[in-house]
Amino acid sequence: MSAKFTDLEKLKRETFNCTMCGFCKNVCPVFLDVGWDTGSPRGRITMAYGLITGELEPDDDLVNRIFQCTQCRDCWRRCPGKTKCPDVVLAARRELVKRGRAVEAQKSVAKNIRETGNIFADLEVEFPEQEGDISLFIGCQHLSRTNSTKKNIRLLKTLGVSPRIVREVCCGFPLEVMGFEAEREEQTERLKKAFPVNSEPILTFCPGCKVHLEKIYGREVRHVLQEINDRLTPEKIIKPLNAKVTYHDPCDLSRGAKIVREPREILKKIGCEIIEMKHAKDTSRCCGGGGGILTWDVEISDRMGQARMEEAVATGAEMVVTACPTCEQSLKKAARAVADKNISKPVPVYHILDLLFRAIR
Amino acid sequence: MGVVMKIIEKRAGPESISAIREIVGAEHVRTSKADLYVYGFDAGMHRNIPDAVVRPETPEQISQIVKLANERDFAIVPRGAGTALCGHSIPIAGGIVLDLQGMNQIKEINPGDLLCVVEPGVVCDNLNEALKNYRFFIPGPASSEAATIGGMVATNASGDKALKYGATRDYVLGMQVVMPTGEIVRYGTRTLKNASGYQMEKLLVGMEGTLGIITEITLKLAPLPEKTAVCTAAFRELVEAGQTVADIIAVPIFPAQLELMSDICVKAVNKATGLGLPECGGFLLIACDGHPEAVKDEIRKVREICEKNGAFFMDYTEDPERIENLWKGRKQLLASLSILKPEFATIMLADDMAVPISKVPEAVKGFLEIQDKYDIYIPPYGHAGDGNLHTKVLLDPENPDHWLQAEKAVREIYDLVLALGGTVTGEHGIAISKAEYFHKERADSIPFMRAIKRTLDPKNILNPYKIFDWEKSFLHNLRYPVKFAGKNEVAE
Repeated sequence: MSAKFTDLEKLKRETFNCTMCGFCKNVCPVFLDVGWDTGSPRGRITMAYGLITGELEPDDDLVNRIFQCTQCRDCWRRCPGKTKCPDVVLAARRELVKRGRAVEAQKSVAKNIRETGNIFADLEVEFPEQEGDISLFIGCQHLSRTNSTKKNIRLLKTLGVSPRIVREVCCGFPLEVMGFEAEREEQTERLKKAFPVNSEPILTFCPGCKVHLEKIYGREVRHVLQEINDRLTPEKIIKPLNAKVTYHDPCDLSRGAKIVREPREILKKIGCEIIEMKHAKDTSRCCGGGGGILTWDVEISDRMGQARMEEAVATGAEMVVTACPTCEQSLKKAARAVADKNISKPVPVYHILDLLFRAIR
Repeated sequence: MGVVMKIIEKRAGPESISAIREIVGAEHVRTSKADLYVYGFDAGMHRNIPDAVVRPETPEQISQIVKLANERDFAIVPRGAGTALCGHSIPIAGGIVLDLQGMNQIKEINPGDLLCVVEPGVVCDNLNEALKNYRFFIPGPASSEAATIGGMVATNASGDKALKYGATRDYVLGMQVVMPTGEIVRYGTRTLKNASGYQMEKLLVGMEGTLGIITEITLKLAPLPEKTAVCTAAFRELVEAGQTVADIIAVPIFPAQLELMSDICVKAVNKATGLGLPECGGFLLIACDGHPEAVKDEIRKVREICEKNGAFFMDYTEDPERIENLWKGRKQLLASLSILKPEFATIMLADDMAVPISKVPEAVKGFLEIQDKYDIYIPPYGHAGDGNLHTKVLLDPENPDHWLQAEKAVREIYDLVLALGGTVTGEHGIAISKAEYFHKERADSIPFMRAIKRTLDPKNILNPYKIFDWEKSFLHNLRYPVKFAGKNEVAE
């Protein structure tokens, strides 16, 4: 038997707290896709219990099922006993990675972050360095989209934000989600050097970065949509969109950061009528891109994305809007797949900042 | 009990599992350690590891598997969502778990004939969502967002609407079943009435997977009420709330739902949901539904009775959102209890006794006395309108003394319930955890139940060692790592 899972054992009470009522099953995008109880939050709690008691070994099947979780945290929202299932999964991942059982594709992501400071190993990242009053953390995903990032910065400036931009490095959120604890700790040190902050406000583009930076700096980090919503007055809208849209809440923004009002208010201000999906706001469903699954189980990820897109299509909205680069990417791919299936045109998917830029430029 | 029961394993060996793969396809059979481990648990407190988990897609496949089991003598445990609370889905003798969640098609909704036809894996709430479009529903258990119709039929599940709308058995018109010897049989009809011989479709409701594998169910529909209103009432003493329940029924008024919660349950729901219910000794949640005028009249009478019995707080709402939130709070009470004391777990013990309605006050008083006597948490709550009372035991699952105290307390609870003319289970079933007390309750009828089982399942293939065939206390095959006198029950 392998060494004790001491990190995971600290959460043993969580595994007792789970009454196995099964309320988590039909909100879990993985269970809804795979159908086996092993793919449900309750199943993952049971496997964690098996690791703690030493009755289960971390073999390939178990590792796969622990890494299938998208960390959407909808199970935790629904759980009547508030069992911290996503935290149990993260603890299990940390234990598995420590034992060399990380997913291969995720090892590459961790290596990229360690060696280049960003998830894509992009050595040509263009940092729009500048001085300002608010520390803006752009994030790997947005930095990889040079043109759109330039537009987003112009947008902020139009609304009176004066961002300070430095040569940042990855915040380490992907390392946390994938269970690379030692690497995450090292990355936190690199981040604090690369992105030093004093008392000025911190702003992020990415929902995941927001949630993670708050943990690191121990204070509020604002998502750009909060800042924009405060500053977006009617006279700033030059070209209202007059479109019927549906808004996909990114998990880290809705259940993570509790930001569901601001994006909706912004969309209304720029002339959009919102038709809500069946699962919206804090009950939103994963786009298929969460928790690192995108890096290693593309098939499940794609199917989850398509399930979400089918919900969006059912609203009859002209376009799908979201506020997370990963969601945007997953949903665009899903829109094409759903269109192929329905023999129709893909429903356009936009990042809310792109629509906003069009409305106020 | 007295006799030491011996479980003879009915394992499925590698050859049997290969043969099953041939029948259903390799992708529908799992034998990884992780899968077997997870399917060794359900929402009860027991566990045991199966040899394979199989997800069949057709009755024909199931029939072939059952015939194979008869030839090779391995056990089959049918399983829905795994939300049963008494160990129903635990493969106690090994063998295979037949996961029926994949058979989840709603085959027909026929409002004109007042029926629907579904596969066993359809989740209750999903069916009700589809039925809502036709303004019909079927009443489900508190676990309706997870529980499957097949599981509900196999356990005769019911919930907070049973007083007015009945239990699952009342809705079963017919079913297709794979019998324990492999034949595919249809019982019942598509008619609302039938006097056509033994109503086997009714017998099979509540058989807990021991008499057949249900592959299709024809259910009667209930009309969605035009209006629902909810009255809540708080009492200083739980017995006052209990008396109010009996007085309401005696009028007679049949509320759609009539729920009772003790102080600790109110605290748990408030903590889990933020509903802000008034802290009190006993709390009633009373829903009346039907024609708007009738609802108004019933609610008025209900309020008068609450006042007469000393309610110090009353509220009334017709707001669908508030009503939904109130019932959501009640529905998740069971799991909410686990957050009251972080060091304790909610254990499914003495979980659903039923007593004659007039005995509700006496029963809840007795439960509280037993709680005090044994110094453990046994919070009473329940669908008091139909005499169905719940308790759960909150204990440290690693502490053997807590379990032994619980065993004594539970025994007293059941003695009280039986003395009051009640039953050990109103809606959850027997399986493992209630078998000891079931033997007391049904001593004279068990030989005849057993005769049915032996006749229909001569090789004891389907879900063996459940109901009357479990002859130990509940302190065996526990899913928690507790050791009694140096012996690890988990490893047993």
